[in-house]
Amino acid sequence: MTIPRMISGTAWNLGDHVNTDILHPPAYFSLDEGRVKDGLREGMERLKAGVQGGDSTDGLVIVAGENFGCGSSRETSVRSLRICGVRAVIAHSFARIFYRSLANLGIPPLECNAIQACVQNGDPLLISLTDGFIELGDTRRFPFSPLDPHIERILECGGLIPYLRREQDGV
Amino acid sequence: MGNGLSGEIIQRHADGEREGGFLRTEVDFVLLHDPACALLLADLRELKATIWDKAKILLTVDHFAPPSSVERANIVKDVLSFAEHEEIANCKTYEGICHQLLVEGPWVGPGMVVVGADSHTTTAGALGCVATGMGSTDILYTLVTGRTWLRPPEAVRVDLIGDVPPYVMGKDIALELLGGVGEGGFLNKALEFYDLDGVIPIDDRFAICNMVVEGGAKNGLFHPDEITWSYLKERDGKGRVFPWSFTGEAHYGEAIEIDLSSLTPKLALPHSPALVVDAKEGKGIKIQQVFIGSCTGGRLRDLDKAARVLKGKKVAPGMRLLVTPASQRIYQKAIERGYIQAIVEAGGVILNPSCGPCGGIDKGILGAGEQCLSTSNRNFQGRMGDPSSRVYLASPLTAAASAVKGEVTDPREVLT
Repeated sequence: MTIPRMISGTAWNLGDHVNTDILHPPAYFSLDEGRVKDGLREGMERLKAGVQGGDSTDGLVIVAGENFGCGSSRETSVRSLRICGVRAVIAHSFARIFYRSLANLGIPPLECNAIQACVQNGDPLLISLTDGFIELGDTRRFPFSPLDPHIERILECGGLIPYLRREQDGV
Repeated sequence: MGNGLSGEIIQRHADGEREGGFLRTEVDFVLLHDPACALLLADLRELKATIWDKAKILLTVDHFAPPSSVERANIVKDVLSFAEHEEIANCKTYEGICHQLLVEGPWVGPGMVVVGADSHTTTAGALGCVATGMGSTDILYTLVTGRTWLRPPEAVRVDLIGDVPPYVMGKDIALELLGGVGEGGFLNKALEFYDLDGVIPIDDRFAICNMVVEGGAKNGLFHPDEITWSYLKERDGKGRVFPWSFTGEAHYGEAIEIDLSSLTPKLALPHSPALVVDAKEGKGIKIQQVFIGSCTGGRLRDLDKAARVLKGKKVAPGMRLLVTPASQRIYQKAIERGYIQAIVEAGGVILNPSCGPCGGIDKGILGAGEQCLSTSNRNFQGRMGDPSSRVYLASPLTAAASAVKGEVTDPREVLT
């Protein structure tokens, strides 16, 4: 399953240094998807940053500041994003393990400095992976830093496991 | 550009494949613990892949050790049955925290590339290797291929000079570094330490490398010296040498110098390991619990220092002092040397070697509004319990002194 080149979603705006323990509290480590999903809801609560109204967990794009996802390597924090329909994460910068895990699970990690200050929770966002921009509400466009070709390749495959399959097949 | 020794180690492990800035890199050893393993088992089974080298894996059950719920019991059962089925020889159940067991065994040494499914895998860098943490899916890739993809990091040279005062520990050095740059201040970088006067004991080096990740670093590494070689000789019963004719010449983009002799005990305030002040500024902060343990602060030297403070004293009324040796081996030595006796007589409670309170896994979870001083590595909001609880980080010396006084206490107040 490859990642679509155009991604749309509703913005969920977070701050700087959002760590994995607050985003997805450790007590919610589980193999049960429902429990993992509850962990992100709890994280939203603690960050006081949940998207208001309706089912807030469909088609989300996280927009964050510096060092997003610092702390633990517990992959449940990233899996919770996938389960809850987070389609991309935009941040000024990412903590390295979280960055790798996002790409590994097929969620594009995009670096962009300018957009966060302009985004409100619930704003519609449209991302073009091909053309390298994020569109905020049909009017404003923000470029993101080009992805490293290795990360681009993993995302094209749909994550590290399909990448591994292709590598093993010698494709 | 300066990629330091870390860059050279990665280059020497690169197999020639390159994508963008990433090099495909041969891995010498893999660390995996129970929850991280549980997350990758379904994918591994679906891939029907075999493990590249079963002798190069350490699998520990240290998080759910022993399990405190039915789900965790089933996770441990699944992990152990995987280990048995795959005949993973280095499988350690309830023997201690993975990062301590990794450096206690005869597996890792200078010049190696080590990856682990836990952010604190950086600990092993104290032995002069590149050791870094990753998520479960990354580790699954390594288990199947024996490789990983790494970017040679920009390296920061950290010169540690002068003698260490008796009230300063590795933890204080780590907090000093973090306080200077803030969370993420070393993002993606390698921190390479030169203990120029040969004064930092190996246990303190482990604590320092353990915490480099709180600054966002990819890895921390102590340049091998007499302290490294003597630790390895004692551990492995044989001399080790650097695996290639390493000249000691490494290049750096930036350099930091820390004068150890002027350091004072440090304290990280809630809710960040980089929000650092002098421990004496914490005077008057009441705490209900002190935790001495974890992959940062539960080693033999940590228990020694804590026991020295606690010997012949009692913890403050109402104080809950929890102590977790980082491994069974440390536990036994601490018994032999009388540390455990001193801690228990002072009113401390000994927990079995495991991660426990540090990640709010079990035993010692904090209630609403409670305050804890911990020798662990993270004090993020809610990590150790209720979201309104508050955690302060400090050295085992500061922790023991604070347990006696019932409030944050600079250990110089109780050391004679």
